[in-house]
Amino acid sequence: MNVIETSGLGKRYRQTWALRECTLAIPAGHVTALVGPNGAGKTTLLNLGVGLATPTAGVVTVLGGVPAGSPAALDGIAFVAQDMPLYKPLSVADMLHLTRNLNRRFDQGYALARLGELGIPLKRKAGKLSGGQQAQLALTLALARRPRLLVLDEPLANLDPLARHDFMATVMATVAEHGMSVVLSSHVLAELERVADYLILVSGGRVQVADEVDSLLSTHRILTGPASDARTREELMVVHERRAEAQAHLLVRTSGPTDPVPPGWEAHPVSLEELVLAYLREPGAAALPGPARTNNAAPTEVAR
Amino acid sequence: MTAMATPAQPAPEARLRPVPWRGMTWVSWRQHRSALAGLVAVLGAAGLYLYITGMQIRHEVPVMGEMFTMSQTKLTLTPIAALFQILPALIGAFVGAPVLARELETGTFRYTWTQGFGRERWAAAKLAQIAVAVTVLAGVFGFLFSWCYEPIIGVRQGLSPLMAITFDLRGVAFAGWALVAFAIGVLAGILIRRVVPAMFATLAAWSGLAVVTGVFLRPHYETPLVTRGFNLPSAAWVMSQRWTLHGKPVSLTAVSQVLQKIGAQEVAPGVFGPTSPASGQASGNSAAFGPGGAWRSAPTYLLHHGFTQLTSYQPASRFWPFQWIEGGWLLALSVLLIAATIWLVRRDAA
Amino acid sequence: MTIDKGVSGSGTAEASPSPSGGGDRKKPPDGPRGSGSPIEFRLDAASGVPTYLQLVQQVEHALRLGYLKPGDQLPKVRDAVASLAINPNTVLKAYRELETKGLASGRPGQGTFIEATLSQVALPELATLHRSLLGWLASADGAGLDEDGIVALFSSALRDFFKGRDRPADRRADRKGGTEGVA
Repeated sequence: MNVIETSGLGKRYRQTWALRECTLAIPAGHVTALVGPNGAGKTTLLNLGVGLATPTAGVVTVLGGVPAGSPAALDGIAFVAQDMPLYKPLSVADMLHLTRNLNRRFDQGYALARLGELGIPLKRKAGKLSGGQQAQLALTLALARRPRLLVLDEPLANLDPLARHDFMATVMATVAEHGMSVVLSSHVLAELERVADYLILVSGGRVQVADEVDSLLSTHRILTGPASDARTREELMVVHERRAEAQAHLLVRTSGPTDPVPPGWEAHPVSLEELVLAYLREPGAAALPGPARTNNAAPTEVAR
Repeated sequence: MTAMATPAQPAPEARLRPVPWRGMTWVSWRQHRSALAGLVAVLGAAGLYLYITGMQIRHEVPVMGEMFTMSQTKLTLTPIAALFQILPALIGAFVGAPVLARELETGTFRYTWTQGFGRERWAAAKLAQIAVAVTVLAGVFGFLFSWCYEPIIGVRQGLSPLMAITFDLRGVAFAGWALVAFAIGVLAGILIRRVVPAMFATLAAWSGLAVVTGVFLRPHYETPLVTRGFNLPSAAWVMSQRWTLHGKPVSLTAVSQVLQKIGAQEVAPGVFGPTSPASGQASGNSAAFGPGGAWRSAPTYLLHHGFTQLTSYQPASRFWPFQWIEGGWLLALSVLLIAATIWLVRRDAA
Repeated sequence: MTIDKGVSGSGTAEASPSPSGGGDRKKPPDGPRGSGSPIEFRLDAASGVPTYLQLVQQVEHALRLGYLKPGDQLPKVRDAVASLAINPNTVLKAYRELETKGLASGRPGQGTFIEATLSQVALPELATLHRSLLGWLASADGAGLDEDGIVALFSSALRDFFKGRDRPADRRADRKGGTEGVA
């Protein structure tokens, strides 16, 4: 099952396309990192997925074919937007009561236990909590709904390192216990490297990379060799090249880790961050399931 | 590679049973209790004032009779009624406008509209519940106002129950005005998306509607009656008074020409005054400006010369029919505006 | 590296000499959650070593030092994930790797348990190996290799050696941060 599936999805605000020709199939059971520069279209994509915005072009379905924003979708997806929206004048207990009244499923026991563990007082107004506590409250409310998919928009901005760790630890523990899928966005990749096993890179309103992390890392490598060796370069699928007078580093895409290394060249494994930066520098390049180097591949399950 | 084992998913239900409506009762109450409490406080304070005044009036009217009504009207009713006129506008601005505008302005819609309840049902439940509360409270207030001033209104000519100053504070009209103010407020809220500008827009729109109704609509709910006599039914609401000759209306200038002989002129429909000294002296009637100046007998003079005064008016007996008409279309308009608001909730939030 | 299969089942320890001098085996600490595992994982985010591999190495290290013995339970996936804030699949991958190596096995509904231990090389043998290695290092140094050159040469030879044995661990050898190809 795909938790989010889009086909040719696009969204235009006034005259600008915030997102264009987006075709994705995010599989269930994964923690998906949605990364890209500010203004790249990550929030737009998430808003379309949770039903807060409607597409200008294309289609988006969730949880295995359910239309985004429909009652079934709302039931199975919990969304925590940027800045953790909460009703600031309401108390923590009121927020729990509110969430319970607005949803079919609400695990009151879990929510109370969790808030107790975190030391968040029930009587205090939500607006008076610290940033980290507000984030944990918003997360607790979302998790208590027992969603099949948790969507987080830049959840770690404005959190100190300890709060960030606690937040992600909570999310990961729920993934481990309940098999929940997660899609979270950030413009800082380093925060997500430890938790993500599926990566989507959005840049300039288009999806450049959408694949499992393991697959990406095993099908990309850095080749270091002589800058003058043009012939070798023609045979390879080079994503990005950095070159000095004598030496060049190529980020190439291969079919697997056992591809032979061209003579005279050295191969190094590539880190996720290096990979993302390289793609960001090459707007025309793409790593999507299906034929390489096209931006509008048909939505398919990643066949491995 | 295999991922975390996802628990076996049941086939998605074709139509999920919706989250029960009754959950929204607590939600609406908890979120808007301060606005509603303010409303109760204001109407309650006003109501208390009305109760006290009403008791006073009932105590004194039998004693002072007609003299009482005239002076008391001027002293208490008119300014108070003028003050109460703005209550519905305030209701619209302070109770109606923030309901949706605050969600959008503070961004809490990103939480609320992604809950299982669904945003159209959420809006429908919340708006309906608050609308009913507003209407009921306003209805009680309107009843209290009527009770309080009943001995005065309509007793003497000059203060018809149909006059705007009190008409829309009584009966079903007041509840209607409060409801439509609320409806205007929520519509402004969803369109403008910011609380303070929505409040101002609500005040402006409601005031415009109230003025238009008072000046253009209400006088024509039913065709006014026309009479020639001078004695109008008590407490009738006078629309206009004109002089006619042989069935045709006569202009001010024509009337004034006729009246020159006695040194009078019609300065405005039904209003007479002395002519200027020059024409007075030309007519040789220097007594024109005395205290018992002949110009005061202008109406009698005209009558003797074949003029007829036509008065169009609405009788006080039409009070309740007018109330139902006004309450009815205000209700219809409110329902329309609220339905439009709920429909607008469906469009893009982000 | 050979593996001695210990007697599986809880409570029976293999009779093997403790590697680093006397000292009792450390008792399993009662963590705040009482998870029942003698060890806890830690993460070195800056080391460049993939997370799952760090977990595997920590388990092997714990086995060598005696923190873990056959029958002990490895940390529950949920607990490891909650304390490290990592993806559960990473922990599962590490545990699968340990299963492939024959060191651990999962019992459905209960967790993952140590099945075997790494062979303990006897102390005198370790000393001999250490001495011969120093000898080799002296020759390499005499040939003009610097430290990094020695490391590269050794890593390459290590890979070549295990390639010949066709072990699953080899496929990940290039992930350990070394380089491949002609030096």
